[in-house]
Formats: sequence, structure tokens, C-alpha cells
Amino acid sequence: MWKFFRPEEAAAVEAMSARIIPSDPGSPGAREAGAVRYIDEALAEASPDLGRLYRDGAAHLDELSHSRCGRVFADLGPAEQDVLLASLDQAPDGEVRDAAGGEQAGILGRLFAVVWEHTIQGVFGDPMYGGNQDCVGWKLIGFPGAQWGYDAGQMRPGFDAATIPVQTLGQLRQRSSAAGDGGPGAGPRGGA
Amino acid sequence: MTERADAIVVGLGASGGIIAHQLAAAGLRVLALDKGPMHSDDEFRFKHDEIRYYSRGSLVPQLSTDPVTWRPDEGTPSRLLPWATGVLGNSEPLHLPPSVGPGGGTLHWGGASWRHRDSDFRMRSLIVERFGADALPGDSTMVDWPLRYRDLEPYYDRAEWELGVSGQAGNVGGEMHPGGNPFEESRRRGYPMPPLRRAAADDRFRAACERLGFHPFQQPAAIASTDYKSLSACQYCGFCHGYLCHVNAKQSSRITSVRAALDTGNLRLVPSARVFKVSRGGASGRVTGVSYFRPDGTVEEAHADLVILACYALENARLLLTSGINRNGEVGRHFMTHSFGWCTAVLPEYSNPFMAPLVAASVVDDLNAELVPDNDEGVLWGSVITSIPGDLQPIEAAHNLPPGQPRWGREFKAWFARNYRRLFGIHNQIPSFPSRRYYCDLDPDVRDKFGQPALRITHGWAGHDVTALRYFQNIKRRICEEMGAVEFWTERLPPPYHLSTHEVGTHRMGEDPGTSVVDLYGQSHECEGLYVVGGGQFPTLSGYNPTQTIQALAYLSADHILKG
Repeated sequence: MWKFFRPEEAAAVEAMSARIIPSDPGSPGAREAGAVRYIDEALAEASPDLGRLYRDGAAHLDELSHSRCGRVFADLGPAEQDVLLASLDQAPDGEVRDAAGGEQAGILGRLFAVVWEHTIQGVFGDPMYGGNQDCVGWKLIGFPGAQWGYDAGQMRPGFDAATIPVQTLGQLRQRSSAAGDGGPGAGPRGGA
Repeated sequence: MTERADAIVVGLGASGGIIAHQLAAAGLRVLALDKGPMHSDDEFRFKHDEIRYYSRGSLVPQLSTDPVTWRPDEGTPSRLLPWATGVLGNSEPLHLPPSVGPGGGTLHWGGASWRHRDSDFRMRSLIVERFGADALPGDSTMVDWPLRYRDLEPYYDRAEWELGVSGQAGNVGGEMHPGGNPFEESRRRGYPMPPLRRAAADDRFRAACERLGFHPFQQPAAIASTDYKSLSACQYCGFCHGYLCHVNAKQSSRITSVRAALDTGNLRLVPSARVFKVSRGGASGRVTGVSYFRPDGTVEEAHADLVILACYALENARLLLTSGINRNGEVGRHFMTHSFGWCTAVLPEYSNPFMAPLVAASVVDDLNAELVPDNDEGVLWGSVITSIPGDLQPIEAAHNLPPGQPRWGREFKAWFARNYRRLFGIHNQIPSFPSRRYYCDLDPDVRDKFGQPALRITHGWAGHDVTALRYFQNIKRRICEEMGAVEFWTERLPPPYHLSTHEVGTHRMGEDPGTSVVDLYGQSHECEGLYVVGGGQFPTLSGYNPTQTIQALAYLSADHILKG
């Protein structure tokens, strides 16, 4: 199921990401994008050094949540989660404003900063990394994804780019190899 | 193993690629060493990947492998570049030294391709004439260049036509051309390619600037608008600055020069070769070669009577210092960089900022360099005002929100969903002035994994930087208002970063061996047979991007070497 996370860690991290980019009726958020899946893969492959922070941080978060609200973070209501996260969110170079104090506060502040970065990547990065499932992040903001190029009509001011079918890098690659050359239009000239 | 060559070129970026090509084409046996990997076309045909190139910075030297430290002044301990040290442990790629591997900085660059104005070569004289000698602070080390625009014009022309630049000339042999820069210096001919198609919001920028009395024109771009020599026409995919080009539209020394040099059969290229020392010998201490590390730490030596250090301005200085080539103490001094004063606006209509190259856009030169009008604020030297309508991917955009805008939760989601496709940017390039206070040396405590000392930068933003940033911030605000922006904001002034990928001055050129490191050909005053080339040669920084001047100087150096 998970490459890195224990189930309770995944639940806590998913709940955090879902407050960073919440889901609304008809408008998917980090949960539908699978940001936690992106984070799991990142920790298993690209960023193993962050594993300890996630492991300790998720445990601290659940402890803090338990001591304040009597339940683990993932089981809190959205409003309670927001209050708790707001106490962890620190200005990029600032101190944790509230939270539990001491070492735990430091870890939780770092955890929030890291989950924020990872959630943005897991919602707005290419789906091949495990997040942005069905390109929900790109559709949310009107970004067409990996396009070989844009033509003069598409580059007119005010053009509605939602009319361009959203494309992942994998799809671009497939279409290019089906076209039998480097890509639609001209490929690189010369060799090597 | 010891290897012998006629010439060794260290670093194959904007200058090293050109010099390696010129020497190899003239029949010299050239050994080229680059600390980065050799990139192939296949590797980036599908480079449309913000995680790989932006979030994980896979093209740039990471601080974990290539440490650089900084301190604002001598009284503060240095640390790894704090503005580039992300919470995820990898480094933010836009304010680090540029990309590595054959191609160097021209792999990741945006492709802004400028000739200096003649005034840029005489900054000190012009400031002193106009404002008096007291206008510059007491710690200033500003000097004029040892050459003028007319000396470099043939080399600028050569760079444009041999490498490929698209644009609209403004002044051909004194005859003014509509659509070009009305303030342009005279050039012998136009550009080899017409201008790029401009990104959507640039029309609105132009119209606003014209209503304010400015004279916007399309900036020259080292990006092919049509197929040209080894370049193919741009596809406007929008993954440009910070990325490799999937169709080789963006001029990179990897394709314009390195490939041609390899085709001569006279170039041997060793990638992932980390040079750490310039060797000298004999009574005169002339250059005899270099030593370098293979990735596994094995030390190799290579010998030649001619060595060209063509790394980034910071790395060139580090190599001179670790090699003990610094008799007059000038190496690493006069560090200069740009501050940008990034201004971001939300426009009332879709701007689709994810399309087109960064440089498919217009520039206003009315307030650049000595053209800046007399002003009460105390701005001595101006800057370009550059429209940034394209080349903005979503993850980067999410890191630049207006002050006070929640960065998570329902409000963040709604803001980003509404406004990402309406974003637009404007920036300046305020050249910092050289000062005794701002320099690079070797960090006494920090070393890389091969045991080599890190470079330490001592730099703070000076009074003039802040003055000029504020002056131009007001102008950008007026432009944004005139454009009908519904929201706009600027980065912190002065900015948190002290690297812009436009660092220069660290091995200054000059005629006096007592006060400069190299002569105007890039030849070391101290060590016979050694050339040290690139932006490090610049006596002052211009408001323009430095690369085409670095290329012109490289052609000048190559000619000088070959004429012997």
C-alpha cells in the first residue's frame, strides 16, 4: 500500500495536505490529487533524508492533537484541524507562533513547512510522480500541463486555455513516439 | 594517469564553449573538462517537468555537493546560502550558481542576449562627470573598462550571427529602424532572425508603457524564431528559463559550440571532471596544467602550456585562490550582482503565463544606465524595465503570493485557481557597484566532499541598491496601474538573495597588473599561459544580462590566443 508511511502517518499527512488545498463539492483538492501518494514516493525515492522528520513529526502531531482535542489529527473536524495547523504555520524565517513549545514545536513547524512544499508539488507537479491524479491540480488553475508548444492563436491575450486538452508528460511522450519522431512539429536537428 | 594537450579549457559554458570550438577548429588539440554531466538531446526532449528541474533543481550545482557560503559583512559568521536552502533539503535553483555540464549557464538560462551600451564601459567616468566624485561612496572600487563599445562591436556581431539571436535592430550604422531600441548603439547589421512571437500580456505592457511616454521594444533573444544553423524554431512551450530546450531553439554552447568542436576531431571532452588546482612550473611559474577529481575521488593530472579557466565568475575565483594565484590580492574582490525588484501583477484578463519563453517580451530602456533622468532620490545609474509575461509554471507561481494572502486553505485555493492564469511580472536589473566591502574568498571552515574549500561571499545590499530599487518600484507600480492590474506586489526590498546568476567582477580585467587580475584578453597578469575568462572579467556590471558580452569577450580571447 505505502512505500514509506505507516498507515497512521499517511492518515495524518493526508489530513494536513487536505487542509492546505481543501476539497470542495465539484472542486477536488489535495486529497483527490493524491498528494500523500506523491509524498510517500518522494520519501521512498527522492528525499529519504526527510523520512525521520515525517515519522517523528506525524507522531508529535497526533500527540498534540490528542492532548488538545482528545483525538488524533486525522479524526479532528476541519475547523479544529485548521486551528491546530495555524498554530504550526510559521513565517518562512520566523518562529512558531504558538504550538506546544520547545523541541516539539520546532519539529512541527518544520513538518508543516515541508508538508506545504510537498503538497504544492503533489497537486501541481506531473502525475508521474504519484500526485496530481487525473490532473486535478492543473485543471483547477487552468494549466494545460506538458505541451509540445503553443500556436499564435493560443497565445492571444484573453485566450481560454481550458479549451486545450490537459496533457501529462507521459501522454506527450506517447503521442510523440506514435508520431514517429521527436515530437509534433520539428524535432531537434542534428544528432547526439 | 597524465594527459597532454595543446590547450586545456575548464568549463564549457558561454565562454568556454566558444574558446574550445575556436581553438579546436584552428587545429589545436584541446582537452575540455567540465564538472557536470554531459546532457543528451534524449534527456530533455521531454523536459516539461517542473518537479525535476524547479523543485529538485537537477541542472544546478546543489549546495550539498558544491557548497557556497555567504555573510552580509565581516562581523557575521558565514553559512550556506540561506535564501537557496529550501526546507526540503535541496536548493532553490534560481538563486544559485548556474547549471553545470557542457553548456554551463547556457543550459538553464532565459536567453536574454544584450550588447552593452557604450556608457556601460565608462560607468565611473560618466557618474563622476555628472554627479561629482563624491557621489560614489568612499568604499567604491568602480573603474572604467579597458575597452569601449566600438572595440567589442565586431565580436557582438559575431556572437549574434555565429550563435543565433532573434530580434529587431534599432540602429544599423546610424540609421534608426522602427520597432527596435531607439537608444541602441550603432550596429553593423541587424539580427540573423526576426523577433520571437510575444507572450500574451506583453501587448498590454507595451500599450501602458507607450501611454506613459516610454519606448518599449522587443528584447533580443538567444532563442531561434526560425530554424537557424544548429537551432530549430521555438515552439513556445513555456518550460524555458531553468529548463533545457526540447527542440534546441534556445542557444546553448552545448549545441552551438561544443558539438561543433567535437566535430573537428580535435576536442577531447571529459565530463564530471572537477578541476581543483592550476599547476605551475619552472622559474617563471608559468602554467603547466591542471589537476582534477573524477567522481570517485581519483585525482587526474593533465598538462598543457595553455590553460583557459572558463568557469562561472565564482568558481574561477575559487580555482585561482585554491591554486595560490593571487599575488596582488585582487582575486575575488569587486563582487557584483543584480537585484531584480520582482513585481508581480494580476491582470483582468487571461495572460496564460505558462506559454512562451521568458524573453518573448518587451523592454523599456528609457531609464537604463546613464539615460536615467536627474532625480531627487539619488539614482546614479539606471536599469532596464523588463516585461515577464510568460514561462511561469504553477509550483514556482505558488511560491510568489501577495503579502497577506493566505498560502493555504480555502482562500489560497480560490486565489490560485482564479489568478494563476492572470499573472504577469515586471523586473529590473539594478547593477550593484563594486566596493571594498563586497568580495569572495575561501571559507575557512566549509569544505566540499573532496576536501576543497567552499567559496565565501561577503555581500550586503548598499544604499544605492535600495535607492534604485525603490525608484524603479514606483515606476513599475505606475506601469501596473496603467495596465489595469487588479493586484500587484513586489518582492522584499532589498531582496533576501545575493546571487542572481549574474555575478561578475571577481577576476577583474585591466591594463595595470597591480590592480587587476587579467588583461583585456583575459590573460593572467601573474601566470604566463593562463587565461581566466567570463563575467569575472567585468570591471562593472551593466543593467543588461551579461551573457552576450561574455560571448563577445570569449571570441576576443580566442582571437588573441590564436594570433599568439
